[in-house]
Amino acid sequence: MTPLINPVTLFFASIFTSNILLSNFLGMCSFISISKDWKSSFGLGMAVTVVMTITAAISWVVLFYVITPLGLEYLSFIVFIVVIAAVVQILEMVIDRASPALYLSLGIFLPLITVNCAILGAILFLQIRSYNFLQSVAFGAGSGLGWWLAIMLLAAIRERTEKSPVPAGLKGPGITMITIGFMAMAFIGFSGMIAVQ
Amino acid sequence: MNPIILGPLVVAGSAALLALVISLVDSVVNNYGEVTIDINHGKKLFKVNGGSALLGTLASQGLFVPSACGGRGSCGACKARVLSDVGPVLPTETPYLTPQELADNVRLSCQVKLKKDIAIELPEELFSVKKFKATVETIRDLTYDIKEMVFRLDDPESIAFESGQYVQIVVPAYGDIKEEVQRAYSMSSRPGDSGRVELLVRLVPGGIATTYVHKFLKEGDSMELVGPFGEFRVHDTPTTMVCVAGGSGMAPFKSMFYDMRERGTFPEKEIWYFFGARTTRDMFYLDELRQLEKEWPRFHFVPALSEPKPEENWTGDTGLITDVLDRYIKDRVGKDKGLEGYLCGSPGMINACIAVMTNNGIDQSNIYFDKFA
Amino acid sequence: MKNTQAERDAYDQMKPGIITAQGFLGADMRSLADIVEADMESWRRGSTDPDTAADFLERLRDLGQKGLGEPTGVDGRWVVTVGDARGVLPCPFHDGTFHKNSIEVVDEKNGSRVIYSDLSIHLLRAHRFCQGKDSPFRLDPKTIAAMMK
Repeated sequence: MTPLINPVTLFFASIFTSNILLSNFLGMCSFISISKDWKSSFGLGMAVTVVMTITAAISWVVLFYVITPLGLEYLSFIVFIVVIAAVVQILEMVIDRASPALYLSLGIFLPLITVNCAILGAILFLQIRSYNFLQSVAFGAGSGLGWWLAIMLLAAIRERTEKSPVPAGLKGPGITMITIGFMAMAFIGFSGMIAVQ
Repeated sequence: MNPIILGPLVVAGSAALLALVISLVDSVVNNYGEVTIDINHGKKLFKVNGGSALLGTLASQGLFVPSACGGRGSCGACKARVLSDVGPVLPTETPYLTPQELADNVRLSCQVKLKKDIAIELPEELFSVKKFKATVETIRDLTYDIKEMVFRLDDPESIAFESGQYVQIVVPAYGDIKEEVQRAYSMSSRPGDSGRVELLVRLVPGGIATTYVHKFLKEGDSMELVGPFGEFRVHDTPTTMVCVAGGSGMAPFKSMFYDMRERGTFPEKEIWYFFGARTTRDMFYLDELRQLEKEWPRFHFVPALSEPKPEENWTGDTGLITDVLDRYIKDRVGKDKGLEGYLCGSPGMINACIAVMTNNGIDQSNIYFDKFA
Repeated sequence: MKNTQAERDAYDQMKPGIITAQGFLGADMRSLADIVEADMESWRRGSTDPDTAADFLERLRDLGQKGLGEPTGVDGRWVVTVGDARGVLPCPFHDGTFHKNSIEVVDEKNGSRVIYSDLSIHLLRAHRFCQGKDSPFRLDPKTIAAMMK
């Protein structure tokens, strides 16, 4: 049943209280790799937001008008992935034209957005929770911005830890994972504030 | 409808629809329309389709900017000064540009994408550079590691160049090597023999081009050449030429000497040619050059071996070529018309010869060289 | 461990035919980081380090250049032949281009032989990279340390 939550509330909720990365632990791969450099993090975060919003919208349309009426729920995974891949491809072309420097710095991680589980995760969430169109778009945009917020925070923290005396064994991935853990714990403080479903 | 048909139909249908959207976006986003390339303040103007890199687009219009790596951004040879705005310098360009070049807006033309009208500056010599389709006429061994190659030019059929210039040969993919590269070799043929290009190629361990020439290329194979390039040439003065080369460095000089003899150019110049090697097995063209010396009074040939074996019965000069050069300049070379130095070879050899020449009173501004750099 | 984009790009540049005919990896299947790590250990065991080795190789090159392309004796123990060619070789890590030369050093005392170029010296000094196990131009730490003794 479609929940009664206001899209605007849902938007803010998906950024803070159920942050797709820090509460649901989706989208970790590029999160850890790209957060080394805040400029690329900013660019990637924005790219993920755009992809999530657009794919949420398109997927909802496909879900509502094609999959559900025809009873093809078993095809939903495949169709969603195809939609995500197409949107990422288009985004790649646009970024390459608008800013070749950003395109180069993101490198392989731009097409890797396709398999970023946060995106498929967001779409599956909107399917399971039966959001309507506005809620889906708000949820997609909010999740994207939540992902962006998390990667920017981590990039900022990593800039500091790079220069701090971290024990040799923990340098790099070690201290990063510990940091992410702390960030997640901090965001637990938000949990339950707003019901998203 | 039967789910076995409906399922794949829906998936294929949505994929097809999205593919259509992608190609639509592609034609809009990647369509840069027509752009104008203005070269040297209006000297040459090209109207082309935008979207590709400057290097390749210029090549498609018949203007060949030198490149050793074929546009992959790993040689730094394709520099051009860009006068209009093409965006910030890419990280793929910065390792190859000096601070002075960055300040002058010099960019790598293989990394600059044509998105709108552009104005650039290129050296004038590039306007006469062409791409030639050629066939290998002969390959012959001169020494154990130097081969002489003669190409017959098919299209265009003749090349216009000055002695001392070089061409780039295009080495196709072969063996484990998957992409073509270009490498530079000085032309040893005479400009008068314009339907042919002769090169001297020495085998370099691990070298992509020399390995291809020495191990794979056969007579009758076709190859592409790009040229002519280079500023090493005979200077139009009555001054006596003192030339030093070793090994494949002989190439530009062979072109110069035979050309001067054929056309009688620079009639007042005396020429001294010093050719150094270790033993006779590193020497070549000995008979030809001795013959030239006999027939042409103003040409003097001085071959020198640094470590001749007794059984070779070497009657010429011995010693390191720089020492022989020093002796001759002091005692044998006529200085009444002044002296000019011409050098072709490794930076080490060139620096050593420059030292000998300057010590003997030749001004550095009168020493010309083709550095293997 | 996942390689960064820069490392993967450098690794690709080292394959045969991109910069040199045989490439810099030989038949070695290890990642760049593993090769560097293993070689650093060898340098330590040879009681020396990449910088000292690079200085040694440069000195041999400079003294060997006097031969102007022919084999030259250096210090009565090494025979150095420096060959030059037209052109430059780019570093796979995109941090510079180096004059194309090939320096062959034969150690008359123990018969070992090594071939390298200006690029090899740079890879050793700046990136601690000695090239893969079967690369014909590998700067093997054990061999070089023995040459330096």
